[in-house]
Parts: sequence; structure tokens; C-alpha cells
Amino acid sequence: MFQNPEVAIDDLPGAVDLDWQSLHPRFVRRLQVEHGLIALAPLIGATVLSVLVPFPMVVTTLLWVLVVSFAVAFFAWPGISVPRQGYAVRDKDIVFRKGVAWRSVTAIPYNRIQHVETSDTALDRKFGVASLKLFTAGGSGGDLKIHGISAEAAEQLRVYVLNRIGASV
Amino acid sequence: MKPIEPGDWRRTSPLAILFFFGKLIRDIVKHGWQGLAPLAALLFAYKGNLVEKAVFVGIGFLVVTSLIAVVNYWFFRFKLTDDSIQIRQGVLKRKHLDIKFDRVQGINTAQNIVFRAIGLVTVKFDTAGSSGDEGNLPAVPSSFAESLRERIGRPVERASAMPAGEVKLDPLLRLGWRDMIYIGLADRRIYVVLALLAPVIDQIGETGAEFIDNYLWTVAEGVKSVGVGTLALATIAFVAGVVVLFTLLSIGAAFLRYHNFALFLEGNTLRSVGGLLTRHEHSMDLGKIQTLRLTQGLVERGLKFYKLVARQARSGQKNSTSKNFVIPRVGADQAEHLRELLLAPEGNELTQIPASGRFEAISPYSMRTPILASVLPPVAIATVLIAMTGSAAPLLILLPILIPMSLIYLSWRHAGYHYGDHGFVRRSGVMGFRSVALLYRKVQRVTVTQSRYQRKKQLATLRVYMASGSVKIPYIEHTLANRLRDYILYKVESSQQAWH
Repeated sequence: MFQNPEVAIDDLPGAVDLDWQSLHPRFVRRLQVEHGLIALAPLIGATVLSVLVPFPMVVTTLLWVLVVSFAVAFFAWPGISVPRQGYAVRDKDIVFRKGVAWRSVTAIPYNRIQHVETSDTALDRKFGVASLKLFTAGGSGGDLKIHGISAEAAEQLRVYVLNRIGASV
Repeated sequence: MKPIEPGDWRRTSPLAILFFFGKLIRDIVKHGWQGLAPLAALLFAYKGNLVEKAVFVGIGFLVVTSLIAVVNYWFFRFKLTDDSIQIRQGVLKRKHLDIKFDRVQGINTAQNIVFRAIGLVTVKFDTAGSSGDEGNLPAVPSSFAESLRERIGRPVERASAMPAGEVKLDPLLRLGWRDMIYIGLADRRIYVVLALLAPVIDQIGETGAEFIDNYLWTVAEGVKSVGVGTLALATIAFVAGVVVLFTLLSIGAAFLRYHNFALFLEGNTLRSVGGLLTRHEHSMDLGKIQTLRLTQGLVERGLKFYKLVARQARSGQKNSTSKNFVIPRVGADQAEHLRELLLAPEGNELTQIPASGRFEAISPYSMRTPILASVLPPVAIATVLIAMTGSAAPLLILLPILIPMSLIYLSWRHAGYHYGDHGFVRRSGVMGFRSVALLYRKVQRVTVTQSRYQRKKQLATLRVYMASGSVKIPYIEHTLANRLRDYILYKVESSQQAWH
């Protein structure tokens, strides 16, 4: 028999108090390796510059303060941002949160996912992490990337999501 | 050519050469015009009569492009199979295209003036994956296009909506020549062009006026009072002339694109025809519509009409606008009626008319960040200048702040939203209005974002991703954003209808 019960909006499952899964514990280290390498570039540049060009003392100090504080902040950033990231796998969707200043919570229902992709770089493999990308229709703006979960978790999720996509069609 | 029957590889009508020629010229104008620069340099580099050389080069260019068009035509073949149409094209780079009928979202046609006389059309396949141009089938009989349409349209729905035989449908909307003038006047591009040309106009205005001035001096000897007055007059006349010219141009463009525009609803397919020289026929399945966007620029506000655009899923590669279904001029009532039809059956609970009292304002805190961003730098500069010069004159540079301030205020005033059980409408705009309507069941994913400041004020931004792009409602209460998100997810999950 056809039923159309009224939905109590306040009883709908919310996505606020979820059991958030945090990212892989070694992901912070992995990002710091990458960020450290990137931060080396301005440090080397500043060294070369201050050796080659005879700046006045004030300029050199200012330059070093700027470059070093940038490098330190850039290196330390994953330690702040990664703990804020997390995902939750629910029955109908996957929820992903991130952000330190701008915090966002994204929910992506299984029956809108077009395909799933797992990928890892050489550095990722070294630390045993991988990334999972969920594609929805509508081009690049519609993709969700969860970077920094363990390779096994990524593979499990990939299989799980694929099964869910197949089931919902 | 027989209507749709699976068969062998074949060519289209030789008149397709016209299409390939036009496409080549368009491509050159769009991408390759830099390549023509050496040609022009060549023109000037060698001695001789310039006109003679120009004619020579022009003929050479025509011959080469025509040859390319002929070769393109010769290598263009297509073949029908049971479930797809295959296209082979390209000379140096062979391309093989396999367009599956069940992937085709719509079949659009264009008919230039020569094709129209003979009853040929260029078919453009609108597929979910492709980004545009490749799926073209030039110069086939219009009956062939019609049978293709029937082939891809869902036969069951068609059968119920259209009884056997040709049925003349009443159009939902017809636009006459007066409408073309309105559309032309409201064309935003002329203002962009004018803005770009402003310095040039200034320059030309001056020299032109000087010339006229001198001319008048020599003609009307003894008349001493022509100086400044004539100069100003001539400049004004020149600028007015340019404005009139561009207005006429954009009205002309409106005629070219939309002349005799008519909109039909056949079963579940929306179809529009229009165009002066080339007649464009555009069709879209109602189910494919992702968002409906009603826009009204400043001029449209004055002239009291809107433009309605139905957007469908877009491909990943680029923001192609070719997949938008444009209805260039609608009144308020028509817009409401069309929304009910296009977003049927749930769309009738919404309204897109900006003046509607159903819209709720977003939080005025949304103005804080842009105001700070536009106020702080000038204030800082003024402070430094005052400290350095000791005079109060730098306060004057604070005056222009009023412009961004009023724009920020306007965009807050114009921002708004309202939601129902099945969808929401988001209103925005600075000078004009834009209201975007969507249905929850077509949503792809939802994001709730909070900045540090928004957290302090218990506010959040809700962003909803559709297959055609994302729509956001900024600065609403956090609890409301969360509730809407949960409700949308519930709708996505419980909806029995496909989103595409």
C-alpha cells in the first residue's frame, strides 16, 4: 500500500556528532617531508642571495626572519590541519570534514557517485598512505578527495563504495 | 538518403563543404588569427601595389581554405548501427567517433540560409561526455534529423504525448521583432565593449573633433565662436554615434540569433527554434535540467523582463555554455509558468521572481568581510599620508570608498533565499537580480562551511553541488544550514526519480 508519512525534520539523521575517523597517523609526517622539501627552496634562495648581494644588515635580518618564519609555519602546518580532517562512513553517504579557519563538512551520497579512484605517490607508499577520490557528475567541482588514509582503508572503501554504487542502481 | 537504417559508411551531401568552410573560418578567427599576422606582414613587406597584393593574397587564402573544406568533406563519413552513429573524420589526424544513442542528451540542429532552401540541416549531438564540436553531422536532410530525434527519444513517452502523425503544437512562447530590440538593448556585451573602448573613444573623439573644428574654421571664415562649443558638441555626437552603432549591432545580433523564436514543449522535451540566417533548433529533456536561472540585468530591470536559462549537466573539460537552454526574454508571469512546467511536478512550490516576499534575507554579517577588505587599505594609506604630510587633504582619498560600500550593501540587499519541501531558490545580484532554482533530488553533494567569524556568529554557508555547477547560500544560521543539508540528503536518498 502506498504510504507517505510526514517526515519530522528534527528527527532526520544529522551529520554533526559523528564518530569521525581520523586520517592515518603517519600522514602528518608524510606531508611534513613534502612541505620540508618545498620549504627548503626559499631557504636556499635566501642563503644564496645574502651571500652574493651585500645587503645592509637590516635587510638581511628581515629577509631571514620572513623566510624562516614562512618555512617553519609551512612545515608545522600539517600538524595543525591534519588532525582537523576526518571522515565518516554512513549507511547512505560518506561525510568528510576539514579546515582550520574555514571548516567545512561535505556529504556525498553513494547513489550520486559515478566512479571511485585510489591513488598513491612514491612518497605515499613509503608512509603507507593513499588517497581516495570520489567522482560525482558535474566536472572537477564535483569531486571529493580524501588524502591520507591507510592504503588498506582506501582499498576497502573503494570496494565498499563500488558495491554500494552497484547496489543502488 | 533513406531515413534511419543501419548501413554502410557514407558521405553527407556535398553542400557540407559550406559547413566545413564556415567552421574553418570560425576556427581561424577564434584560435588562429595570430597565424594570419605573418600573412599581413608579407603583404606590406614586398614592394608593389598594395591593393593588387591584397587581392592576390585574399584569393590565395580563399582557394586554400576552400580546398581544405573540400578535403574535410571528402574524409567525413558516417555510419548508422543499431544503437549508435559512428563518424570518421580528419585527414592528418584520423578521428573515429562512436556516439551511442542512449548517451545522447539531445539533438540540436542549425540551418543556414542555403541549407534552408534545400531542406538540409546540421545535426549537433549533445552527449553527456563530449565538450562540444566533434559531434556534428553537417548537411543531412531535415527528415533524417527528425528520425534521429525519434530514435533517441524515448518511444513510450512520445507515444503518449504525441498521437501518430504530425501534430502542430502551440508554442509556449513566441518572440517577435519588438522582443529582439529589447534583447539587443539588454545585451551586456555592448557595455563591456564600450568600457573597453572608452579610452579609444576619448582619443578618436578628440582628433575627430579637431578635424571637424579645423574644417569648420576654414569653411566659415570670420566666425570666431566655433572653438570650444563645437569641440564638445562633436565629441558628444561621436560618442553618441558609437553608442547607437553598438546598440544597433547588438540588436542585429539578437535578430540573427533569436528571430522568430518559438518555444515548444513536446511530451518531456523542450524545444526552441529561432534565428534569421541560420535557424537554430535546440532541444532538451526536462529531466536533464539541473538548475533554472532567471536573470535580470540593470537594463532588463528597467524594461521589466527576464532571461531564463536552463542548465544541464556539463562535461568536465570546460565550462561550455553550449549546453544551456536559453529563453532570451520572458515576463514575470511567463517565467513563473515556465518554471512550473520545467521543474514539474515539484517546481510549483517555488518562486523565482526577485520581488517576491517569500525570499528571506541572509545575515547582514555577510557584509563585514568585503567592507573590511575595501575600507582598510585606503584608511591605512590615508593614515600614513596624513602622518607624513600633516595635512588633512589625504582624507579625500577616503571618498571613493563609498562606491564599494554601496555595492556591498546592494549585493546584501539583493541576496536572499527561500526553500520548500522539494527545492530551494537562491537570489543574488548587485545591480540586477539572478535567482537560481533547483530541486533537492538532483543534488550531487552538499557542503556546509564555516569561517572563524561565522563560527562566532553561529552562521554557515551551505553549498550544494549540482551536475551543472554549484549553488551556495551564504551566511545563514548554522542550524538551518545543517537541517537543510540533512533534509537534502534525505531527499536524495528517498527520491525514486533519476537525477539526470
